[in-house]
Amino acid sequence: MSAPAIELKKLEKSFGLAKIIQGVDLQIAKGERHAVIGPNGAGKSTLFNLITGRFAPTSGGVFLHGEDVTGLKPFEINRRGLSRSFQITNIFPNMTVFENIRCGLLWTMGYRYSFWHMIGRQLDVTEKAEEILEQINLSNRRNELAGTLAYAEQRALEIGITIAGGADIILLDEPCAGMSHSETDLIVDLIRNVTEDKTLLIVEHDMGVIFDLADKISVLVYGEVIESDTPDVVRASAKVKEAYLGASLEEEAV
Amino acid sequence: MSIASKTPLTAGTTRLISLSNAMPWAFAALFLLCLPFVFQSSSALTIMNQMAITIVFALSYNMLLGQGGMLSFGHAVYMGLGGFFAMHVMNMVEDGLWLPLPFLPVVGGLFGLVFAFLIGSFSTRRAGTVFAMISLGVGELIAACSVIIVVFFGGEEGISGDRTMGPPVFGYEFLTQQEVYYLTVVWLLVAALLMYLFSRTPIGRIANAVRDNEERAEFVGYSQRNVRWISFCASGFFAGVAGSLFAINFEILTEENLNLATSGSILLVTFIGGAGFFVGPIIGAVVFTLLQTVLGLHTELWALYLGILFVACVMFFPSGFAGLIAMHRRPLALGNLKLLIKPYLKVAVPAITSVLSLAAILEILFHKRHGYGGGHEMHLYGIAFDSGAYQAVGLAGIIAAISLFLVSRVLPEIREAWDSANHAEDRV
Repeated sequence: MSAPAIELKKLEKSFGLAKIIQGVDLQIAKGERHAVIGPNGAGKSTLFNLITGRFAPTSGGVFLHGEDVTGLKPFEINRRGLSRSFQITNIFPNMTVFENIRCGLLWTMGYRYSFWHMIGRQLDVTEKAEEILEQINLSNRRNELAGTLAYAEQRALEIGITIAGGADIILLDEPCAGMSHSETDLIVDLIRNVTEDKTLLIVEHDMGVIFDLADKISVLVYGEVIESDTPDVVRASAKVKEAYLGASLEEEAV
Repeated sequence: MSIASKTPLTAGTTRLISLSNAMPWAFAALFLLCLPFVFQSSSALTIMNQMAITIVFALSYNMLLGQGGMLSFGHAVYMGLGGFFAMHVMNMVEDGLWLPLPFLPVVGGLFGLVFAFLIGSFSTRRAGTVFAMISLGVGELIAACSVIIVVFFGGEEGISGDRTMGPPVFGYEFLTQQEVYYLTVVWLLVAALLMYLFSRTPIGRIANAVRDNEERAEFVGYSQRNVRWISFCASGFFAGVAGSLFAINFEILTEENLNLATSGSILLVTFIGGAGFFVGPIIGAVVFTLLQTVLGLHTELWALYLGILFVACVMFFPSGFAGLIAMHRRPLALGNLKLLIKPYLKVAVPAITSVLSLAAILEILFHKRHGYGGGHEMHLYGIAFDSGAYQAVGLAGIIAAISLFLVSRVLPEIREAWDSANHAEDRV
């Protein structure tokens, strides 16, 4: 058995006195589609930020394929094959759609900080970027500024940038947030396509999406994982019903 | 159809610069080559040289502001240091060091690069306010040093040299203004082309990405600090080149070349021209140099007019002159540019009149306060009158009021023409 794609060991994060993540242990196997669910404020986004290096954990460790990446910077973690999207659309608004995708490609295709290549002449980059545009269905928007796209298109672009570099671990933070049903269906299909043979960790509120996509589900409540198993087991779990559904019922009552 | 099959979507990208991209450069080179035949006087050549130096400096500044999203208040440091080192090297050439003058800008550029490397190591960690404040601090620090370290900076008189002491290049010793013009212009073309090409490299594109969204750039594998640092070094190099060209042209460098006023004015130049466009700084540098030299010959208030222009730019056309021009690309593409000609011509006369009459008011008041030896006799726009009399200001005021009123009457028409020029349907 090879090392898990992502392993979290006793991960903790506090902001001042507030303990947001309180000792999370989690293993995500290679090639698994893993979903994290939980009520608002459970610490899902914080967990993502800890894994991807946006925040440094207070204690505990993050391991990718068995390698300790705790405390590394986002770009260092990205170079180790992990890529993420954001809950709030995070693109390059004043560059064209094509260039947005190309930015996602340059490092992994070996161009790094090069000032001796003319970017227009690198056919491999251009072709790969066109391919990804095709995949996320934005070829017809190729030359428009990313900031002028419709919301759903920006979300698709966000995923495009995330997968462009060919990372084998993909983290998606609420990819379907704020989308209509038909748009959600398109995005879910897209996610399924682009994460083929990859490890996926996804945070999402839409339960339909979760049970549709995920091989395994972890339930995060108040910074602790109270259950981590297959969708069927999670659905049947009394603990989850009590903690999570109780909370979401409260939420709905408000 | 065979043509279509031979031109895939990436056609024309196999050369370093495609033919269509090379045309503007060839045209610019030809234009610069012919310029001295039109403007032959020594002062005109000096103005053109100064313009070329400012263009290189402004383009290097825009590598930070426009392309890298770094607002620097101390860019004159790199031009100044590059220039001072170039001047010292020029003096070493006089003492026997072998270095043909045309290569001096490489030396100055390398010194600019070294200092950008050192200062950039800590100033580029963060963009935004932190970067701006550090640039201001470093600018002040170096400006202060220039007064203190007299051995190197020459104190208040600065340091001077003689450019003609180097080995002749193809028989040229750079004794005449014309020879210096061609040296400057070749460097202008080389530096501008290199800076343009830099913006087309992976690092150049990623500099844009970091400007747009530094966090996202980190999540696609780039260290925002390293990206800024590399841009900063490249920018420092070209600023150093500009400084060397200054040393060659004027054969003197003083504290003025690296103080905060110079740093401020290059920000102004770049902004007025349009930081969002590669040609922006070029336009800005041309406008600025003309205001400074040509207008500066006629009035002491040129800096005030420049300031007013800057404020107007920030308020009404924040993308600069280049942005104003670029706005017309859509009407041009739609073939609607002719809709705009009539309203533009209509507004031109009252607009120019109002600018001239408002300037007249300022000039008359200034003349009255500072009445030069000969009392209040004043010449303006070819008219001689008494600046002390109320009639002059009054008349200028009335003309200004009338012309401004006329401008305001034409504005709705322009707005309407603009809207219809930007809509494809209206024409079809």
